[in-house]
Amino acid sequence: MLVAKNLSKSYKEINALNNVSLSIKEGELYGLLGPNGAGKTTTINILSSLLKPDSGEILYQGKSLYQNLTKSKKMIGVVPQEIALYEDLTAIENLKFWGTLYGIKGKELHSKTDELLELLGLSDRKNHKIKTYSGGMKRRINIAAALLHNPKIVFMDEPTVGIDPQSRNLIFEVIQELHSRGLTMIYTTHYMEEAERLCDRIGIIDEGNIIAEGSLEELKKSSKIKEEIHVKFTNTQKTDLSNINNHFNGQLLIQDNQMVLSTSHANTDLPNLIQMCTHADLHLENLEVRSLSLESIFLELTGKSLRD
Amino acid sequence: MFTIALKDIRQYLKDRTAVLLSLLLPMVLITIFALMYGGIGKPKESRPISLLFTDQDNTELSKEVFTTLNDQDAMQLFPKSYNEATGLIKKGKNAAVLVLYKGFQDSVEAGKKVPMELFYDEAKEIEMGLLQQALWSNLFGITIKKGIKGKVNTWIKEKNPNLTNSELLDIQEQVETQFSDFEQSEDSGKMEKNSNLPMTALVGEEKNGNLGLVQAIAGMAIMMLLFSVASSGASLLKEKEDGTFRRLLVSPISPSSILYGKMLSTLFMAVLQLTVMFLYSWLALGLDIFINLPALILMILSAAIACTSFGIFMASICKSRKQVESLSTLIILVISALGGSMMPLIFMPEIMHKLAIVSVNYWAIEGFFDIFWRQLPLSEIYPKMLVLLGIGILLTTISVISFRRNLLKLV
Repeated sequence: MLVAKNLSKSYKEINALNNVSLSIKEGELYGLLGPNGAGKTTTINILSSLLKPDSGEILYQGKSLYQNLTKSKKMIGVVPQEIALYEDLTAIENLKFWGTLYGIKGKELHSKTDELLELLGLSDRKNHKIKTYSGGMKRRINIAAALLHNPKIVFMDEPTVGIDPQSRNLIFEVIQELHSRGLTMIYTTHYMEEAERLCDRIGIIDEGNIIAEGSLEELKKSSKIKEEIHVKFTNTQKTDLSNINNHFNGQLLIQDNQMVLSTSHANTDLPNLIQMCTHADLHLENLEVRSLSLESIFLELTGKSLRD
Repeated sequence: MFTIALKDIRQYLKDRTAVLLSLLLPMVLITIFALMYGGIGKPKESRPISLLFTDQDNTELSKEVFTTLNDQDAMQLFPKSYNEATGLIKKGKNAAVLVLYKGFQDSVEAGKKVPMELFYDEAKEIEMGLLQQALWSNLFGITIKKGIKGKVNTWIKEKNPNLTNSELLDIQEQVETQFSDFEQSEDSGKMEKNSNLPMTALVGEEKNGNLGLVQAIAGMAIMMLLFSVASSGASLLKEKEDGTFRRLLVSPISPSSILYGKMLSTLFMAVLQLTVMFLYSWLALGLDIFINLPALILMILSAAIACTSFGIFMASICKSRKQVESLSTLIILVISALGGSMMPLIFMPEIMHKLAIVSVNYWAIEGFFDIFWRQLPLSEIYPKMLVLLGIGILLTTISVISFRRNLLKLV
């Protein structure tokens, strides 16, 4: 469906993207995971024709994006990070405007807006101005506006930023529904739970480079880390624990009264960890051994937390 | 392009308060300025200029001066003491005081330097200009006549030292009678009549409203329109700030279509505003807008195009709405002052007349003056329309280039 080869983009002296290559299959939901400033939005901007890369090639269904730009644009739907809607117009007016820009008219436009409003659970509010909507409702209309013209591929740039859990779940359900209908999607996020829950394949991007790519299982398999030990204390540490990491092979994250040790040897590391905590006068409240998460994979690959 | 324009118009019309304000504010300003320029009311009626009068001579001649001046339509005299009069001028209550000092009549009759003085407030320059005209012709008429009589009598006395007092008095009476008879004779009337300068107004004889009203409408309508289009143009930057601009750019329309769509909606609003202004001027202020309707329609369109291109130009060279707001306010105030929106160009020095041609306001105001005041045919007005269209094309071209350079870079 989409093949991007060796995309590079720099702004003055900052390299936003370095030879990024992607291959997205038809019907696939591809997650682009990375911290803020990693290059996710730049990738989407380039793939959606908003920015021209300094070098590289983009092919949609085997044809260059720029070969027939207008035609290519009609294949693409973009859900921007910000709420790109007109606040003083109603939901239906917004959707009709965006639909008309893509050449949809009359009955087709009418039925498509109704269908999407129904899908997103906003039919009863369609004649209300966007400015009267909650953050979650705005996000849903923001998604609907990108789907009106039946795009072949949709880019969703962090579509759940700043909304309540209920709206987030609703958006997840919509995305899963669209996925089940065979829509190709590229989903950027810095929330690993979202990528884990939604995506068929995940690309981990950091400092303009794709540093790992594959399904969640593939990423886990390729990682040296196998498990995570989550420890919660009733008190905070009094002694300096900065050197504690040297005693383990894996990565250790300490935050307030919590500690996460990502390790490939949970059996041997667990007793050691308990012993060291006791020695440091830390009282255990909860201890759990979990299977490997994306957060740990990201930490292993980049040496930094996903939300840094 | 049309989809964007229609969306913008819908947004504009939805904000009823803003629509009302954009139409009401110019109406209020036009009315105020029309009142200021004397554009509302009977055209030929003018208020007499008040002049304070201090008579320290208190003679027959000084009283005659008071009566003669006070009889003039253009002037109204108020007798005051010297201190009272100068006090009123210093407080800004009056423009000037004419003081006739002691010995006024004697000096006039003796043909000596006349002891009189005019004290005035320099700030009231315009009023003083009008006052001088009315004052000198009448004041010198009286004093010169008296002065000549005095000179004649003195000359007779000097040349004939042997004459007795009764003979001198007899000669003086004869001189007085000759002057008086001549003033009342047909010859005098003919001379006065023949020396009158006939005046015919070539422009504005068959007036439509009056000069003040046309100036107020043309000047204010264009200035307010520039403010309106600047804020409409800024809606382009609002799109950018709100993120809708990115979405527009990924849609299958060209970036230029976005700009032209914005121009079209701004043009609609500009034409609407000017049309409402002229309808108001017709209904409320009595301006005959049907005097040359085709020319008016074309002039409204030309002015709206030029002003719209200014709004889009501002949006294309600025990077934020704040920049548009402050820069456009500055530019509008400057070009409005230059172009004669705030003050008629006739009150400005020659250099300002030359500078005015760079202003959209100037060409639009001149165009409206051609229609309503000079009542010229369309064939005489169209060059001004072409200048306005030229300004529109130039600014639009620069806008398209700047738009591509600035906005597309900043997504």
